[in-house]
Amino acid sequence: MAMMDLIGVPPALLFGQLLVGLINGSFYAMMSLGVAIIFGMLRIGNFVHGAQYMLGAFGAWYLMRLPELFPGLGLPSIGYWWALVIVPLVVAVIGALMERIFIRRVYDLDHAYGLLLTVGLAMAIEGAFNVYYGAAGQMYGVPDTLKGGINLGFMFLPIYRAWVIAVAIVVCFGTWYVVERTKLGSYLRAATENPDLVRAFGINVPRLLMLTYAFGVGLAGFAGVMAAPIYQVSPQMGQGIIITIFAVVVIGGMGSIFGAIVSGLMLGVIEGLTKVFYPQASSTVIFIIMALVLIFRPAGLFGKETTSHSVADVSSGRSGSFLENGRLWLAIFAIGGGLLPFVIYPVMGMKILVLALFALAYNLIFGYVGLLAFGHAAFYGASSYVTAHAAAAWGLPTELCILLGVSVATAIGVLFGWLAIRRQGLYFAMITLALAQIIYFYAVQAPWTHGEDGIQSVPRGTLFGLIDLSNTLNMYYVTLVVFLVGFAFVYRIIHSPFGQTLKSIRENEPRAISLGYSTDRFKLIAFTLSAMLSGVAGGLKAIIFQLASLADVFFMTSADVLLMTLIGGVGTLLGPVVGAAVLVTLQRELATLGAWVVVVQGAIFVLCVLFLRKGIVGTLEEFLSNRAERKAQKGVKTTEAVAKTEAAQ
Amino acid sequence: MTEISKVVLDIADLHAWYGESKALHGMNFEIREGELVTLLGRNGAGKTTALRCIMGLVRKKTGAITYRGDNLAARAPEIIARRGIAYCPEERGIFSSLSVAENLELPPVIAKGGMTVDEILELFPNLKARWQSPGTKLSGGEQQMLAIGRILRTGAKLLIFDEPTEGLAPVIVKQIAVVLEKLKARGFTILLVEQNFRFAAKLADRHFVVDHGKVVERFSRDELAGNEAKIQAYLGV
Ligand SMILES: Nc1ncnc2c1ncn2[C@@H]1O[C@H](COP(=O)(O)OP(=O)(O)OP(=O)(O)O)[C@@H](O)[C@H]1O
Ligand SMILES: [Mg+2]
Repeated sequence: MAMMDLIGVPPALLFGQLLVGLINGSFYAMMSLGVAIIFGMLRIGNFVHGAQYMLGAFGAWYLMRLPELFPGLGLPSIGYWWALVIVPLVVAVIGALMERIFIRRVYDLDHAYGLLLTVGLAMAIEGAFNVYYGAAGQMYGVPDTLKGGINLGFMFLPIYRAWVIAVAIVVCFGTWYVVERTKLGSYLRAATENPDLVRAFGINVPRLLMLTYAFGVGLAGFAGVMAAPIYQVSPQMGQGIIITIFAVVVIGGMGSIFGAIVSGLMLGVIEGLTKVFYPQASSTVIFIIMALVLIFRPAGLFGKETTSHSVADVSSGRSGSFLENGRLWLAIFAIGGGLLPFVIYPVMGMKILVLALFALAYNLIFGYVGLLAFGHAAFYGASSYVTAHAAAAWGLPTELCILLGVSVATAIGVLFGWLAIRRQGLYFAMITLALAQIIYFYAVQAPWTHGEDGIQSVPRGTLFGLIDLSNTLNMYYVTLVVFLVGFAFVYRIIHSPFGQTLKSIRENEPRAISLGYSTDRFKLIAFTLSAMLSGVAGGLKAIIFQLASLADVFFMTSADVLLMTLIGGVGTLLGPVVGAAVLVTLQRELATLGAWVVVVQGAIFVLCVLFLRKGIVGTLEEFLSNRAERKAQKGVKTTEAVAKTEAAQ
Repeated sequence: MTEISKVVLDIADLHAWYGESKALHGMNFEIREGELVTLLGRNGAGKTTALRCIMGLVRKKTGAITYRGDNLAARAPEIIARRGIAYCPEERGIFSSLSVAENLELPPVIAKGGMTVDEILELFPNLKARWQSPGTKLSGGEQQMLAIGRILRTGAKLLIFDEPTEGLAPVIVKQIAVVLEKLKARGFTILLVEQNFRFAAKLADRHFVVDHGKVVERFSRDELAGNEAKIQAYLGV
C-alpha cells in the first residue's frame, strides 16, 4: 500500500477501477469471443453483434416486466435466473433466422458485403429500439441472491460483480475448450480451413455455419443479460461497445479464440488503469493499443499471419460507356448545377454537392483500390472541426480555414493509411473504423470542440476577400465550383497511369507485386488523396452549415458515405454523385418519419447489399452493355447470313 | 474381371463450368462393383473437375451422375458422401489446425463395414508415432497416408482418389500401390485419378483417358499392351 500512496493514488480508487476494468474486460471477452468465432467460421465481420447484445439486455428487462407489458394476460414476472437461460436461447434463435434470411446470401461475396449487411441490420434493429425507448436507459435490478458485497479490507467487492467475472471466465474458457478439444470443435476448425472438403466428408456445413452464428449471437445475448443489472438497458448500449470489440478482436488476432478472450480481459483492465493514471485517454487507449499492435505485430497478438487476397468483386464502370465520360458529365453537372438552385433549395443543393464530393473521395479508395475503408468520418469530421475553429475562434480568412482543415485531414490520412494498409479486406475495415474512433473520442473530450454542442455559428466570411459567402447563392456557386474541380480531379486520377495501376492492384494484387509495383505505396497515396478530398468536403460543410459537430466524426458518417457509394454504384464515375442525391432526397422525404429514418436507412443498406450490389449506375451500365452486346451479336449474325448467301451465289 | 458385375457409378454426358469457362464437355464413363478404374489425362484435362462434380462440389453442371440408381447431380456434397462415397482430394486436404488423430477421425461413419482405426494404423504404421502432432507437420508421404487412411473408416463403398502419388518418392508410391491392392481385395470399388501411368497400369481393371473435358479412349487391362504409345501421347505434353 505504501507504494500506492507513493505514486499518489489512493488504493480504493486503484482497486475500484481495476474491478471496473475487469468487469468491462469480462464483457469484452464474451463479446469478442463471439465475434472471433463468427469471423473464423463464416468470414463475416458481425457488426450487428452489439445490437444482439442489446437484445439480450432488453430481453431480460421484458421478461421482468411481463405483467406490465401485457396487463390482461396475467403473466408472471420472470426474473434474472430464468432470463439467463431463456434470453440467450431466444437471441440465438433470432440469430439463426438472421443467418438463414440474410447472412447466408453473402458468404460467397467479398467480405465487404458481410460487413455492410450487418451494419444495415444493426442500424435497423437499434434504430427501431431507439424509436420506442429513446436515449433513456431502463433500470434492471441485481437479483436478490447476488445482492450485497464482501469487504476485502482494501476494497468493497459487490457480489454481483464477482459473479460476472467468474461466469465470464467459465463461459469463455468453456467455449475455448469445446472448440479446441472436442469432436464438434474439430468439425468447426476443419470447416474454417476447407468447408468444401468437410462437406464432402458428409458433414452438413451450412447447418454448422448457422449453428455457429446462432451460438455466437446467443453469447452476445447472454452477455446482454449479464450486463442488464450493471449498465443501463438502452438502445445505444450495443453501439457503444461494438467498435471497441472490433478493436479487441484485431488486437487479439482475427479468428483467434484464445486471443479474443485474453485481450478482452487484458484490455478491460488496461482501460481501468488508464482511468486512474490518465483519465483523458481512457476512452481511446484500446484504439491506441490497436495502432501499436498493428505496427509491431500486424497479425495481432495471438493471430497467425494470413495472406488472404480477397479480390474485391465490386462492380466498375465500363470504359468507353457514356456513363464514364468525365468531360461530358462535367459539362452536364456545370450546367445542371448552375440551374439547380432555381429548382430546389440552394441549401439542399449544397448538401448534395458536399456529400457527393465526400462520396467521390470515398469511391477512390473503395471503388478503385478495392479497400473497404470504414473510418472516413475521421477525415471529414477533423477537417470540419479545424475549419470551423479556425473561422470561429481565430477569424482566419475562409479559404485559409478550409486549407487548414484539409491539411489536418490529409495528415491524419497519411497516418491512418500507413497503419491500415498493412491489412486487407475486413481487417482493413475494422482497423480504419477503430482508428477513426480515436478522433471521435478526442472530439468528445477536447475543450475546443465544445462537446455535444459542437462549434456553432461559424462565420462564412468572404472568399479571397471578394465573394460574400453569407449570401446563400454565392455560397452555392462556390460549392458548385469546388465540386466540379473535385470531380475533374477524381476523373483525372482514375484515368492517369497511377489510376490504371490502382485498377490492376484491385484486380490482381499478387500479379501487380510480381510486376514490381510497390503496391502498398500506391494504396497509401490513393488513401491519402481520398482523405484529402474528404477533408475538402468536411471543411466546406463546416462553412456552409456554419457548424462542426460530433455527428461529423461519428461512425454513422462513415456508414453514410459508404451507403451513398453503394447505392450509386461502387467503382463507377457517377455512382457517388447519384448516391448522394438519392440519399439526401430520401432523408428529406423521410424527415417526417423522425427517428424511423435510421431504420429505413438500415433497411436500404440491407436491400442494397442483397439486391442492388452494382448500385443504380452499375445496374444501368450493365443493362446498357448487355443491350450493346446483343446488338453486336445480331450484327455478326446478319453479316454471317450475308456472307452465306453471297457464298451460295 | 470375367463376369460382368453391376454398374455402381455411371457418368453420362457430363458438362461442367467454372463461371463462364467450360471445363467438361460431355464426359461419359462408368464403374462396376469391385472394380478399380483410373482416369488418365494430362494437366488441365478435367479429371479433378469430374471428381468434384461427382462429390457435388461443382454447382454449374448438366448431365447425369447415377450412383446405385440414384441421380446425384442435384444433391449437396454432404448427402452424396452419406450415400457411401468417400473422397480423397488432390493435394491431400490435411487440416493444419487438427492433429493427426483428429484428421483421421474427422469424417463421420456413415455405414457399417468401415475399417477400424487399428486396421488403418496397421496399413500405415508411420502414422502411429505422429498421432498427436498437427496434421501439416507430417511429411508429404505421411500426409498422403493420412489422407487415404482418413476415408477408410467411414464405411463408404466407393473410394475416390485424386492423384495420390503426386510428388512422392518411389518407395512411398510402391507402398500406396500395395495399400490400394489390399483395399480392392477387401471389396472396395475404387476410382483413381492418375498421371503416373506405370503406377496405374499395374493396379487398374480399366482405364479411361480424359482429354479436353471428355473421355476420349477406354482400355481394359488386357488392351493396354498394344496401346501404350497412344496413351503416352495423351499423357505427354
Ligand atoms: N477453380 C477453378 N476455376 C476456374 N477454372 C478452373 C478451376 N479449376 C480448374 N479449372 C480449369 O478447368 C480445367 C480442368 O481442370 P482440372 O483441375 O479438372 O484438371 P485436371 O485434369 O485435374 O488437371 P491436373 O492433372 O493438373 O490436376 C482446366 O482448364 C482448369 O484451368
Ligand atoms: Mg487435378
